[in-house]
Amino acid sequence: MIITNNEWVHNKYRELYDIIYIEGSYRDVLVKTRDKLHEGHELLTHPLSSSIKPNETPYKSVIISDNKGKLNFDSIYIIENSIMTCDKFNKNKIMNLTEKMKEDFKLIDLTVLESALNI
Amino acid sequence: MKLELGYVFIKDIQFAEQSKVENGTLYVNKEEVKALILEDQNFKSADVELARPGESIRIMPVKDVIEPRVKVDGPGGIFPGMVSKVETVGSGRTNVLKGAAVVTTGKIVGFQEGIIDMTGTGAEYTPFSKLNNLVVVCEPVDGLKQHEHEKALRFAGYKVAMYLGQLAKSLTPDEVHTYETPNLVEGLKLYPELPRVAYVLMLQSQGLMHDTYVYGVDAKQTLTTMLYPTEIMDGAIVSGNCVSACDKNTTYHHLNNPVIHDLFEEHGKTLNFVGVIITNENVYLADKERSSNWSAKLAELLGVDGVIISQEGFGNPDTDLIMNCKKIEAKGIKTVIITDEYAGRDGSSQSLADADASADAVVTGGNANEVIELPPMDKIIGYAEVADIIAGGFDGSLHADGSITAELQVITGATNEMGFNKLSAR
Amino acid sequence: MLKVVHYINQFFANIGGEEMAHVPAELREGVVGPGLAFQQAFGGEAEIVATIVCGDSYFNENLEKAKTEIIEMVKKQNPDLFIAGPAFNAGRYGVACGTIAQAVKEELGIPVLTGMYVENPGADMFKNSLYIVSTKNSAAGMKDAVKKMAPLALKLANKENIGASAEEGYMPNGVRKNFFDQERGSKRAVNMLLNKLSGKEYVTEFPMPDFDRVAPNPAVKDVRKATIALVTSGGIVPKGNPDHIESSSASKYGKYDIEGVMDLTEETFATAHGGYDPVYANIDPDRVLPVDVLRDLEKEGKIGKLHRYFYTTVGNGTAVKNAKGFAEKFAQELKADGVDAVILTST
Repeated sequence: MIITNNEWVHNKYRELYDIIYIEGSYRDVLVKTRDKLHEGHELLTHPLSSSIKPNETPYKSVIISDNKGKLNFDSIYIIENSIMTCDKFNKNKIMNLTEKMKEDFKLIDLTVLESALNI
Repeated sequence: MKLELGYVFIKDIQFAEQSKVENGTLYVNKEEVKALILEDQNFKSADVELARPGESIRIMPVKDVIEPRVKVDGPGGIFPGMVSKVETVGSGRTNVLKGAAVVTTGKIVGFQEGIIDMTGTGAEYTPFSKLNNLVVVCEPVDGLKQHEHEKALRFAGYKVAMYLGQLAKSLTPDEVHTYETPNLVEGLKLYPELPRVAYVLMLQSQGLMHDTYVYGVDAKQTLTTMLYPTEIMDGAIVSGNCVSACDKNTTYHHLNNPVIHDLFEEHGKTLNFVGVIITNENVYLADKERSSNWSAKLAELLGVDGVIISQEGFGNPDTDLIMNCKKIEAKGIKTVIITDEYAGRDGSSQSLADADASADAVVTGGNANEVIELPPMDKIIGYAEVADIIAGGFDGSLHADGSITAELQVITGATNEMGFNKLSAR
Repeated sequence: MLKVVHYINQFFANIGGEEMAHVPAELREGVVGPGLAFQQAFGGEAEIVATIVCGDSYFNENLEKAKTEIIEMVKKQNPDLFIAGPAFNAGRYGVACGTIAQAVKEELGIPVLTGMYVENPGADMFKNSLYIVSTKNSAAGMKDAVKKMAPLALKLANKENIGASAEEGYMPNGVRKNFFDQERGSKRAVNMLLNKLSGKEYVTEFPMPDFDRVAPNPAVKDVRKATIALVTSGGIVPKGNPDHIESSSASKYGKYDIEGVMDLTEETFATAHGGYDPVYANIDPDRVLPVDVLRDLEKEGKIGKLHRYFYTTVGNGTAVKNAKGFAEKFAQELKADGVDAVILTST
């Protein structure tokens, strides 16, 4: 299952994968991911899956397991640290993005995600 | 495996009719270099410029920095699997234009980062301000995809570096340094008393803009493996990484890996440096588990007493770093890790995205969020307008007089996680 | 010339030891005791205009009075800097130095500096809010202490930029600051590894955060007799959120009476939490704060009783430091109220 706010990911993979598409921020994606992990899904990709800082890129895609199991504490630990890191950066908001930059960030988010999907 | 590095010291760089090295000056025929770059039809135009230490020049956005080297003797060529054949390198003789570098620039993606200032505050933080740089500025053809642009620029850098390196092929170096790693059995016989140490080198490997190549293979598709340290000196590992300017490992960093250098300094004296374990930093958590399992397993198999682990990049690599550290310590092997920090502009936030009590010996390259002021420069090579949109820049970063207020993370190589610099934090 | 006021205890003023610790605060003009060494080290850039001498017992036992008196004395001198100590390993002296330095800094807004041994209790209390120079553990380390404190004192008085703790000699204060070290990082790593391998001392450049692992308490002996309290970070509050607990990054907690409440309903309770979908919590707040089930258990005699009050906050992005602070406060109340066990629920 993919949780994303990147419409490119949504458009490209909605036929293939179960996708939760969020019309919201990078942080909203992390928080939604946390909620799903609380339900027992397992985190499959690292939420800070890029060296691009959370206050630079608005886009984020995370993969979690389709199946629910017992609460996975490693997953919870990673998502909570990631939300804290995200908040740390968002104290300082970076510039307004041009359309071209938004597209670049969508592309990078997509390709980083695809590196995990082995595509 | 034994490699001799012949250093030809470069103290100046100039354009000239004929490319050559004479009395410590690197002369470059501009047109030949341009023609070389334009062999690649992905570029519509190319330019090269010079940036010497102390000059009032700002280079931005920097993609990669590459040291010119040439294989004089022994198998293979520089950058095997990329521009030379996939021969195992790391033995024989390699000549180096020490003090010179090729710097590639380009707007691959809208926010791409990396500043090298040749003078002023910024220059203190980047090692590349001390080099005589040949800066490559090239324009891609219209509609070229970002990943194709990245690749084209990466190869342009290697080709120009190879071209310059060739100039040193028949020269007598000013200094020759010999680096030798015996096989495990011999090493044990030679230094039975010394602690055995390996180096765990983590490579950024997450997808577009975040890639590293080993003998031409994308590191994210590799399993943790081993190299002789000297292979890396011949360009077995190259950078395709465009993000996180301050803590990405450029190709120059790989060629001059400081951990390898400093472990060799002590090799046979206080420790026995047995080799390099290279491991990746993938996005997939199962990959992180597997790769760190393997680094621990290889360290155990090598029977080492201690390892140094270096990192690359921000955020999720902290998880790889801690996994590597924790699992290797659990084998009873002592670790020292090298990282950098994102402690916020005021330095009071939690520095790393992951932590573990077993990481009790940490070297830091500094806080990448600390704010610095970069004075205006007389000349900008590259694209000045990107100042506002680079990582660590913020609205209003670029002032009317050309000065920049930004976080340290805008400076290429500033908080390097191989420990290339003297910068630290407390 | 910069003006400095120096604070020392009765021992360093040569009045006497423990038996004279009761002497009240007194202002003397010029240098007394260790002030001389500072004066020399300032090399004409600064002058100790007055020394305040105060017995350690007097200070600690008449805290507010002593603080007020001393601040008055300092204020009259209108100095550029206030130095307290160094206190080395003397615990009460260290705490006094930290306390008075903190008070001077806050109330008079002038730079302050103190020094003590790292294990002095005053160090832990004040190292994050004051510059405290790390000294040896006895007065034999005076020369060394002055050597480190004097240059930092001048920098503070001149309002110069203060470098990293490793450069300036003050105790790490949780604020990370960059500086250029003598050796590059890789060399430092090799040296650190060699020390670690040979069992020698080494200092990590980045101490990992303290992992607050809580050892579980022994099991409740007889839960059928125990008073059980409910505490939640799930944000359940009386409807209308009377104390305005924030929906994220909460700065407070609430304490609410559930005497006679058998069941939390949509009409009476709701969640203040902004970090999860509140629909199910609001329809039946017992889902987060299980009052109904505990009332059942109470009736069945499976627990002694449910405590009259529950405590609640919002765990959404709330700093660990704040959360700990809340718990430290209400844990005392729970103990005082004779609660035997607590059920903590989250979201």
